[in-house]
Amino acid sequence: MNLKKYFVRALHRLQKGPGYTYKELLVWYCDNTNTHGPKRIIKEGPKKKVIWFFLTLLFASLVFWQWGILINTYLSYNVTSSLSIGFKTMKFPAVTVCNANPFKYSEVRPLLKELDKLIEAALERILQPAHGDPISPLLLNSSDAAEGLDLELWNQIPLVLIDEQDKDNPVIVEIFETNQSAAGNQSTTPPPPTNTTSEEKKYKLAVKLCSHQGSNNCTYRNFTSAAQAVTEWYILQSTSILSKVPLQERIRMGYQAEDMILACLYGAEPCNYKNFTQIYHPDHGNCYIFNWGMDKEALNSSNPGAEFGLKLILDISQQDYIPYLSSAAGARLMLHQQKSFPFLKDQGIYAMAGTETSIGVLVDELERMGYPYSDCTMNGSDVPVKNLYSEYNTSYSIQACLRSCFQNHMKEICGCGHYMFPLPEGVSYCNNGDNPGWAYCYSSLRSSIRHRQICIDSCKETCNDTQYKMTISMADWPSEASEDWIFHILSYERDMSTNVTLDRNGIIKLNIYFQEYNYRTISESAATTIVWLLSSLGGQFGFWMGGSVLCLIEFGEIIIDSLWITIINIISWCKGLKQKRARARYPDVPPTVSELVEAHTNLGFQHEEASTAAQGEPLPPEPGTPPPNYDSLRVQPPHSPGTDSDTE
Amino acid sequence: AAMAPGKKITARIKKTLPVRGPQAPTLRELMRWYCLNTNTHGCRRIVVSRGRLRRFIWILLTLSAVGLIIWQCAELLLNYYSASVSVTVQFQKLPFPAVTICNINPYKYSSMKGYLSELDKETKKALETFYGFSEGKSKVRRAAGDWNDSESLFFTQIPLLRFEDSSRTATDLHSGRKRKVEGSVFHKDSSIVNSGDSNDIIGFQLCDANNSSECALYTFSSGVNAIQEWYKLHYMNIMAQIPLETKEELSYSAEDLLLTCYFDGLSCDKRHFTRFHHPLHGNCYTFNSGENGTVLSTSTGGSEYGLQVVLYIDEADYNPFLVTSTGAKIIVHDQDEYPFIEDIGTEIETAAATSIGMHFTRSRKLSKPYSDCTETGADIPVENLYNKSYSLQICLHSCFQKAMVESCGCAQYAQPLPVGAEYCNYKKNPNWMYCYYRLHEKFVKEQLGCQQICKDACSFKEWALTTSIAQWPSTVSEDWMLRVLSWDKGQKINKKLNKTDLANLMVFYKDLNERFISENPANTLVILLSNFGGQLGLWMSCSVVCVIEIIEVFFIDSFSIIMRRQWQRAKKWWNHRKRDGTGRPPELGDTEQQGHDNPACIDEDLPTFNTALRLPLPQEGHMPRTPPPNYSTLRLETAFTEQLPDTLEPGQH
Repeated sequence: MNLKKYFVRALHRLQKGPGYTYKELLVWYCDNTNTHGPKRIIKEGPKKKVIWFFLTLLFASLVFWQWGILINTYLSYNVTSSLSIGFKTMKFPAVTVCNANPFKYSEVRPLLKELDKLIEAALERILQPAHGDPISPLLLNSSDAAEGLDLELWNQIPLVLIDEQDKDNPVIVEIFETNQSAAGNQSTTPPPPTNTTSEEKKYKLAVKLCSHQGSNNCTYRNFTSAAQAVTEWYILQSTSILSKVPLQERIRMGYQAEDMILACLYGAEPCNYKNFTQIYHPDHGNCYIFNWGMDKEALNSSNPGAEFGLKLILDISQQDYIPYLSSAAGARLMLHQQKSFPFLKDQGIYAMAGTETSIGVLVDELERMGYPYSDCTMNGSDVPVKNLYSEYNTSYSIQACLRSCFQNHMKEICGCGHYMFPLPEGVSYCNNGDNPGWAYCYSSLRSSIRHRQICIDSCKETCNDTQYKMTISMADWPSEASEDWIFHILSYERDMSTNVTLDRNGIIKLNIYFQEYNYRTISESAATTIVWLLSSLGGQFGFWMGGSVLCLIEFGEIIIDSLWITIINIISWCKGLKQKRARARYPDVPPTVSELVEAHTNLGFQHEEASTAAQGEPLPPEPGTPPPNYDSLRVQPPHSPGTDSDTE
Repeated sequence: AAMAPGKKITARIKKTLPVRGPQAPTLRELMRWYCLNTNTHGCRRIVVSRGRLRRFIWILLTLSAVGLIIWQCAELLLNYYSASVSVTVQFQKLPFPAVTICNINPYKYSSMKGYLSELDKETKKALETFYGFSEGKSKVRRAAGDWNDSESLFFTQIPLLRFEDSSRTATDLHSGRKRKVEGSVFHKDSSIVNSGDSNDIIGFQLCDANNSSECALYTFSSGVNAIQEWYKLHYMNIMAQIPLETKEELSYSAEDLLLTCYFDGLSCDKRHFTRFHHPLHGNCYTFNSGENGTVLSTSTGGSEYGLQVVLYIDEADYNPFLVTSTGAKIIVHDQDEYPFIEDIGTEIETAAATSIGMHFTRSRKLSKPYSDCTETGADIPVENLYNKSYSLQICLHSCFQKAMVESCGCAQYAQPLPVGAEYCNYKKNPNWMYCYYRLHEKFVKEQLGCQQICKDACSFKEWALTTSIAQWPSTVSEDWMLRVLSWDKGQKINKKLNKTDLANLMVFYKDLNERFISENPANTLVILLSNFGGQLGLWMSCSVVCVIEIIEVFFIDSFSIIMRRQWQRAKKWWNHRKRDGTGRPPELGDTEQQGHDNPACIDEDLPTFNTALRLPLPQEGHMPRTPPPNYSTLRLETAFTEQLPDTLEPGQH
């Protein structure tokens, strides 16, 4: 019903012609609008009118310009940070303790026996020519030192000496001469005896890595230091051996909790090794995590100071270290969040044997807003790398992502998984027997910048970044005076015997506690919210023109009105065109009465009609009595659509 | 049929609104006009309100709104230059910082013998006379030669004295005779210690060479400090005379210091290190100094991928008086930064593996007008003597050195040479030490003005270090490790190394998260204007247009009205005097009738399209005949009477 009425009105409006013109509309708008400038334009004198016109234009453009800036600012999603610092009851961090040495040497000795023999013999050969003799390869059959060496193992990844007397063609000297080592185009001839003094001789140790055993595709990893080369070589060989050992066996070979954790005290409550969660860490063997929060609620600490922290006494039994694997002795420990995997190589610290290490902790938190404010991930679900550490039930972290990424590459390129990282599905750990070229593949992958960059690009940092800032201090422990009884008690407690099995080289005391200020939290909040945007937009509009949203609606209304006017004008113009054509067709037809009437009424109503009337058909000079100028005869219907725009 | 109403309207407007600002006859009229026509709220209420109380309340409210606006806007302006802090964390490939490594002992003692033997001899003698200390017979470095014959050069320059407390007498160490000392006493140690009952206060006296009565005494509570300080003075004096090339020769070479080097999984050697001669620490070596234009970067965190070096610290070749600790010093710094190793270095223990985990933070402050910091140091009137980018330390040191050259005529040894100056030594500047101590005193007490001139830099990089120590080499690996390292050291040393001569150092990124703390302007001009607009709009619905109006009405128009009235009055008075007549000036009447005195004008609506249309039809023109019956009931305009009420009756609302 209403719709019909509306259409009828619209039709009438179209028929009738514009209710008023653009100018009227504008004047009306200027007079009645709530924005401040336009009213001035029509109310002032001619000079001021111009000034006000330009001022209004200027202000309007200013408003739009500034709105642009504001919207841009909003869309850049800035954040503001707020910092809070102080002490509050907080979850005590998870504390991971490991021994720097992964396995007890006494346990792994049978596995590494061959390797140790080899390296000892090799060192013998390398260190021998201190008197200036040129190094010559040890001939197997002539020497009894090489007796019983497992050269199979050696030839998988051999160590070679590089003689760099002549910079341009270094001579490669094999350490053990074997019948199969002559493969390839490498010169294996012993260097010719020279008369130069032995001081100028420069030998370098290198690890020879081949893609397949006996193939020509070999690289030599040079080391400036023999110590480094030996360590690297030993690590490569031992990982190959150990990767074949099942996990249960490896755990058994590592340090057991009851051997390692001698005493534990958390606040005033005693704790023991049973409060620690065991985890197998490829770098450090068995690691023990206190307060990991996996099966129990995390412990809270509500007091600062060493009295209320965690106190541990550890034994690292340095005598049982694997000599060639880890040269640094001590405990490795790390503070981390509950339910996160400890990446000791990255974040871990050492504690030295024979000392008491006190660690004051400040929790440095950064809470960020996710997308679109910053490019971080809340739980890692949107990262395209499969997290291999999820098998430990740990939360996402960037380190886990990078390592998983590397391991995935390793799986794709080398066809096996590296021993230091969790195993992806469907592959086994690399070892020399099954994957002869793995060391070559691994070392080229490891030094590949491209692969690293891929991993960096695909991993995202977490939005909540927690760091434990540590203030580390050390003192000698136990003191000389207390040494005897402490060792006695600890040894007694361990194996119920009176013979002391501990010494300074193995024992470590740790104190981990919250500092006086235990948290510093930087949290982000959006700098520009939609409310901010609206109030700023309103402020700008109000500041320059005193306008509001209603003014915008007013303006829109005016535009709709002017569109109407345009439509109506066009229609009437078309109509006029048609009539003209019709008139052109019958030029001699006299005007009808109604036409005349209309001309008259128009003349009476709007006085400029003379011209159109004159153009249409000149009035007869004396047509007799003029028709009564009844308004009722006019074409406008009583409820003309022209009123609609005014009243509604 | 389009043009007419518009024209009519404007004509009508002109007719009905004759009063425009400056045309108003009186100020009161102007104000009334302004209040009725302004866009600000409140003002209109004052005029429209009936009743005194109401009017008074509205005046009060309007005024308080104005006051509030002014107050709030002032507040906004005052807080304009405030900064907000943002912290961003970025995970990315990080540039590895430069790591400068020095041996704590600056020069090989064996090669320094030629320069220092005299001084050492005298120091030993002093130790013997003061404390009855003599080194064991077995020691090689023993005071040789007899004391009495040698002319004690050093003691005559700066005598070591033992003071008897409160009596102001001192025993001269060399001659053994007592003498009265004059001059002010400076305590190098804390005054609390000195005020105690310690009878043996040891120190030395520095005198102005030109004016021997002016002396300053420097006393120490402990002989350890006194001897070391005294030794250092002479040592610097001797070293200042040795040219740089010789000093570099005397110090450790890269091969001496670095046994192994391993970075990011690859071997490195001395070519990756840049030598840097530090006046107090001798030859230092900077890893990744960026000298050849490339800066190494790390794309993996963790200890394996950082820098691992084994340092050879030749403990036997240490200077016993200059340095009393063993080890190395390292500093992690930016490539552009000067390593102030003596100020902020980290000591490295021997026979241990020191693992240093780094966390990188970049900070950035806003410079003027937000805070008083400098971007490049170019606006600081102190010349940068170091060949590195600006820092507060550099500025302070340069400032002190400049003051030193100005007042003492020579440059202090520990800092770089300014152009045209040379290092102080006794031969040329016998007075320098006294001068130096005086100046240093002033510097510490901030009397030199250096602390006022120097500003901190706006941006800086910081590597937060987490240092931990492990035993190295472990007891089981010690044997092979030392053997292999001895082989590494080369065939020239045929002895086996001792583990107390070695230090293992690991410097690595704990994580590749770079924290960037930056200050941003909390306000921009756009936001300030928005806030202004918000305030103006909230209290008075005002805008810049209103402000212009106010200026127009209250300043220009009122001023012109006043001027016109004065002019008229003067004219009237003049006419009156001239003519002695009583004739009214006609122009006054005109203006009165034009104004708002016309009662129809006041309450009437501003003319609109509709009111204009309501005007009677034009009578003139082409209507010579009898007018048609103009029934108003039939007229179309009835429809228009349903006009918006506010445009009809502005006065009532």
